[in-house]
Amino acid sequence: MKLNPPDAYWKKDATLFFSKRFALLIKMLYPMALIVPVAASDIPAQYAAAVIGIVAVMAGTFGAGESLTADLNDGILVRVALTPLSPRRIVFEILAVNAVLDFIQLLPALLLVYVLHLAPLVWVLAATFGIFATLITANCIGIFIANFTSSPADVLLYATAILAPLIYVSGFFRNQNPTGISATLRDFVPFAYMNDALKAVFGLASETGAAPLEIFIYPGIIAAVLAFGVCLTGPRLLSPRF
Amino acid sequence: MERPAALEAENITRTYKSSGRGVADVSFEVHPGEVFGLMGPNGSGKSTLLRVLSTAIAPESGTFRIGDVNGLEEQQKARAKMGLMVDRPTHYGDLSGWANAYLFARSYGMEEGKAQSVLAELFDYFGLAEYRDDRAKTYSFGMGKKLALIEAMAHGPELLLLDEPSLGLDYTSQLAYQAKIRELAAAGVAVLVASNQVDEVEAMCDRVAFLHRGRLVALGTPESFVSSLEGTRRIVAALRNPVEYGSLEGIRGVERVTPEGRDLVVHCAERPGIVAEVVAGLVDAGGDITDLAVRRPSLEDVYVKLTGEALRDYEA
Repeated sequence: MKLNPPDAYWKKDATLFFSKRFALLIKMLYPMALIVPVAASDIPAQYAAAVIGIVAVMAGTFGAGESLTADLNDGILVRVALTPLSPRRIVFEILAVNAVLDFIQLLPALLLVYVLHLAPLVWVLAATFGIFATLITANCIGIFIANFTSSPADVLLYATAILAPLIYVSGFFRNQNPTGISATLRDFVPFAYMNDALKAVFGLASETGAAPLEIFIYPGIIAAVLAFGVCLTGPRLLSPRF
Repeated sequence: MERPAALEAENITRTYKSSGRGVADVSFEVHPGEVFGLMGPNGSGKSTLLRVLSTAIAPESGTFRIGDVNGLEEQQKARAKMGLMVDRPTHYGDLSGWANAYLFARSYGMEEGKAQSVLAELFDYFGLAEYRDDRAKTYSFGMGKKLALIEAMAHGPELLLLDEPSLGLDYTSQLAYQAKIRELAAAGVAVLVASNQVDEVEAMCDRVAFLHRGRLVALGTPESFVSSLEGTRRIVAALRNPVEYGSLEGIRGVERVTPEGRDLVVHCAERPGIVAEVVAGLVDAGGDITDLAVRRPSLEDVYVKLTGEALRDYEA
């Protein structure tokens, strides 16, 4: 399969990702620089899991949101939207390729985590899937934000406003053993499932955490619903703004 | 029987709330094989009209058809039938010019082999072949415009919408672009060109519509417009020094005086002695005339006359 010259929108993003070698090196190294020292230290498991979770959430949200707003400001995305391609399909391709590229960025660091913390395979797979679902969710948030602003700086602001409560509800740092409505809300946030799986990888068995099977099912469903919803915003997202 | 219109716009109205500008109640047709020019001063609504017709924005009222496709109800089908060049084309700067054009060609549904061969021909035609693998961000403004033209034409659209296509092109490229447009029109492509390059519109367009303050104020062939100005003349004086030319407007028969670079252009009625009076007026004003020409009316005079008249009507 040829990526360059690109014959589909997602291939354009993949081509750009792999074509700038220095930028690619930085993109691959920065998750390692953040995650590996944490994984190699004796930091408590819940905080090690939280660090990886934060890196995944930030990479997904800011990556899609900022690159989208840059392309929207430039006008090129509006021009692409005036081809016969469906705007919803373009948004789906943006979402899918960004999630996969973010995952590729995180993968080397994750593999090192799995080497340093030998965990049952089912938890390794659950954590990996949970991270991917998180990346899809985070990219959905970034794309959703791009519907309301054409400023990359605003993306940071709005993303922080959206992510902060979600991170709290997910129990990355506080609210680790929620009850009542907080526990119910937690079930609807894919970040929480990733967090549970990563804690298990780091050796922290949790009585309140999700089982591996739940991690394969619920975040997948939630991410799919979010992806569907955000694709519906395609015509608005890709229309000219005055 | 007359062939159906390639583009049929009916009563298009679209106003920007922020500025109050836009287009109002604009109707016209462009037929297959016709090159149709849209002219008008800045802010007259040309780009807005093209945005509506390209399906980028929806009109508040009115409708349009691209061939047998309703442009409002079947947007994707309409987009597939047209080629579009916006006034300020942008590209993915880190992709090569070729990759940009290829992405667009495939987005319009061209097969791989066909896209490769058509693009190779167009890159060669527009003199971009040797730069095809350079990143688009290294292209000059003119090269970017040529790349945008290639992207608009490659997939063989039935209708071409071009917004200020030749602005920024060097002279040779302008000639190449005009020849290509005539070639496409001869093959049955309908072309809508929004431009204020009067020479280009006069040379290339079969019909011209003038927009002013969002309204279509005149529509006809360039010849009919120019012949409607029989009895007027344009005196073009090249001056070594700038002069205060207000007094010229007091000469009987002078309609308008406009500076164009070092030239002063006097639009006036045709009557005996008027050239001598204008020259005398220039000399009296301290003008050092280095060259003088008396020309027949052109589309430029029509442009000035129509926008001037429309302005007076509006203000009245």
